[in-house]
Amino acid sequence: MTSPLIELTGITKTLKGQGEPRPILSGVDLTVHGGESVAILGRSGSGKSTLLSLIGLFDRPDGGRYMLGGRDITRLPERKAAALRSAQFGFVFQRFFLLKHLTAAQNVAMALVNGQGWLPRRKRRAKVMAALDQVGIAHLAKQRPPRMSGGEQQRVAIARALVREPGILLADEPTGALDTETGKLVIGALHAATERGCGLILVTHDRDHAARMGRVLQLDGGVLNPVTEPVIERVGA
Amino acid sequence: MMRLSGRLRSSLIIGGQGIRARKLRTLLSMVSLFLGVLAVVVVQAGASIAEHALLSEAELTQGKDGTRQLFLPTEGGALPVTLDTLRGRSDAVAAIQSMAIIGEPRVRPVNPGAGRIDDPAGSGPEVVCDPRGCHQVGDAAEAPPGKAIALQLTALTGDIRTFRPFRPYAGQWLDFSSAPSLSPRIVLNREAAKGFARYHVPAQMRIDGATADATPRIIGVVDDGGYQPAAYVRADELLNWLPETALAGDRGASMLVLSSPDATAVERTLRARLVGAGMAPDAIHVETLDARGHARTELAIMRWIFLGMAGLVLLIGVAGILNVGLATVGERIEEFALRRAVGTPRSLLAGIVLSETLLTGLLTAAAAIGVSAVALRAVGAVLGDRVPLLQGIVFPWQAGVAGVVAGLVAGLLGGFIPALRAARIPIATVMRA
Repeated sequence: MTSPLIELTGITKTLKGQGEPRPILSGVDLTVHGGESVAILGRSGSGKSTLLSLIGLFDRPDGGRYMLGGRDITRLPERKAAALRSAQFGFVFQRFFLLKHLTAAQNVAMALVNGQGWLPRRKRRAKVMAALDQVGIAHLAKQRPPRMSGGEQQRVAIARALVREPGILLADEPTGALDTETGKLVIGALHAATERGCGLILVTHDRDHAARMGRVLQLDGGVLNPVTEPVIERVGA
Repeated sequence: MMRLSGRLRSSLIIGGQGIRARKLRTLLSMVSLFLGVLAVVVVQAGASIAEHALLSEAELTQGKDGTRQLFLPTEGGALPVTLDTLRGRSDAVAAIQSMAIIGEPRVRPVNPGAGRIDDPAGSGPEVVCDPRGCHQVGDAAEAPPGKAIALQLTALTGDIRTFRPFRPYAGQWLDFSSAPSLSPRIVLNREAAKGFARYHVPAQMRIDGATADATPRIIGVVDDGGYQPAAYVRADELLNWLPETALAGDRGASMLVLSSPDATAVERTLRARLVGAGMAPDAIHVETLDARGHARTELAIMRWIFLGMAGLVLLIGVAGILNVGLATVGERIEEFALRRAVGTPRSLLAGIVLSETLLTGLLTAAAAIGVSAVALRAVGAVLGDRVPLLQGIVFPWQAGVAGVVAGLVAGLLGGFIPALRAARIPIATVMRA
C-alpha cells in the first residue's frame, strides 16, 4: 500500500445560513491512497457533497486537519488552493457543466487554459486528444455538447477532469442524470482512471456503482463509517 | 513573468471565445459605446486639424516657430544699415513694407487702401499715389476712379520662405542669386492675383517716395495667407527706382527682420550697428515666434469643453457595457464557478471579463476610427475645392490614439464591476447545482 494521498482527521463543518447553524460534518476521518477508489453513500442532505467540496478545496473545514500528500493544507489561501485544484484534483459533477458554445476538445482544454502555467497549442491539443481517447470519444472532439448524448457529454466531462493527470478524481453523483447502461459506462471510465494510479472518491446514491469501488463508506450523522459486506450486493461478486 | 504571460494569454483566449459565443451582445455593447468613442475621435480630430490649420496659417502670416522677429523703425538711417548688414545672408532677411498702386496714374484704385478685391469698402484709409508719392486722403472724391489696384509691397533682402513657407500657386518665386533687374520682378499673393485677373490694368507701379513709376513684371503667385492684396519684390530691384531714404521716415513704411534662432551673431551685429547709427536701444523690439504655444492655448479650452461633452456621451456607452456585462456574468455563474473548480484563479476570472469588455472597447474604437477616417476623406474629396483647409486632409494620428484610449477606458470602466462579480462567484455553486 502506498502512503496516504488524502488524510482527513476530525473534520467538522457547520452550515451557516439564514436559519440556525446546522452541523453537517462532526468529525470525519478519511484516508485515501493513490490508485484507491472509495465510494461514499448517504442520504440526501447527509453532507456528502459538503465533504467532497472540502476535499476538493472548494471550501474550508471549521475544524480538524486535512493532509494532502503529507502536507497540511487545512488553511490554504485561495490562490494556492486554486493551484492545487488544478494540479491535484479532477472533478466530475452530476450535471456535466459543458459550455455549449465550445467543442468537446475546447471544453476539455478549459482545464488546461486556466492560468496555471501555459502550454503551447500543439501540446495542449495532444493532451486533450489523449484525454478524449482515454474515455473513448476522441472521434467527437469537434462536436459541440448539444449534439452529444448524455453519456458522451459526461465522458467529455471526465476527459476534462483527467486532462491534467490529477492525483485524485472527485465525482459527485456522476451518473445521476444518466440511464443505467450509460451510467455503467461512465463508472467504467472513472474506474479505468484508477488503474493508472489515480485515486477516486465517488459520491453516489447508487449501491451498484458503489459496489464497484474498492471501499464503500457511509456518511451518517456527520461521520463516515465503513459499510459492512451484507449491506450491499457486490456487482459481479 | 511566465505566469503573468500565461494568465494574459488565457484571459485573451477565453475572452475571445466569450465574444464569439455572444456576438449579438457584443454588437449591442459596441452600438451603445460607438457614439461615445466616435465623439472623442471627432473632437480630437477636429482639434488636431484646427491646430494644424492655425499653425499653417501662423507660419504663412508670421513665420515658423522659433523665428526671431526684429521690428525696426525705418527712419534715422536704419534702412541702409540693415540692408548693408543683411546683404547676401540667408539666415536673416529684412522685409520692408510700403504701399504701392499698379495701374493708371492719378486715379482712385478699385480697392482704396489696399482693401480686399471683393470687399473694397471694408479696407483701411484710402491712399492716392502720384509722382510726389502716395498720400492718405480723407475725401475719395479728390481722384477719379480708374483701373488701378492698391497693394502692400514688401521688399525683401533674401528668400523669406525660409521663415514663412509661402505656398507656390503659379509661376515662380523671386530669384535672389541673379543680378538685379531694372524692371522689378514681383510675385503676387492670391488676393492681388484675383484683382489682376479681374481688372486689366497697365503695368505701371507707383511707390510712395519714388521719383518715377516702375514697370513691374509679374513672375508668380503665392499663397501667403494674407487677405489683403500684396506683392513681393527684391529690395535691390525696388531701390533702383527710389532712394533708400524714400522708404524711411513718415511715409508709412515699416521694416521687419526675420532671423533663424541660431543667427545670434547677425542679430548682435545688426543691433550694434543700429545703435551705433543713433537708434535708441529700446526702439528695437525683438520677439520669438511661438505660434504652436499660442494655438494650443487658444484651442485647449475649447478642446476640453468638447472632450467633456464627448466624455458624457462615452459614459452612456460605459453604462451600456456595464449593463450587458452584469447580465452576462449573471448568466455565466455556473461557467465561472466551474472554471474556479478546475483551478482558475479569481484574478483570471476577472481578467476574462475585463478582456471581453476591453476587446469590445477596442473593436468599437476601430469601428469609430475607421468611420471617422472614411468620413474625413469623403468630406475632403467633396468640399476640398471650396475649403482649402480640407484639401489633402489626413486623419490625424492623435485622433486614432484618443479613440483607442477612449475604447480601452470605456471597456475598463464598463467591465470593472462585472469582473469583480465574476471573481466573487462562490465555487460551491457547481456543487449545489
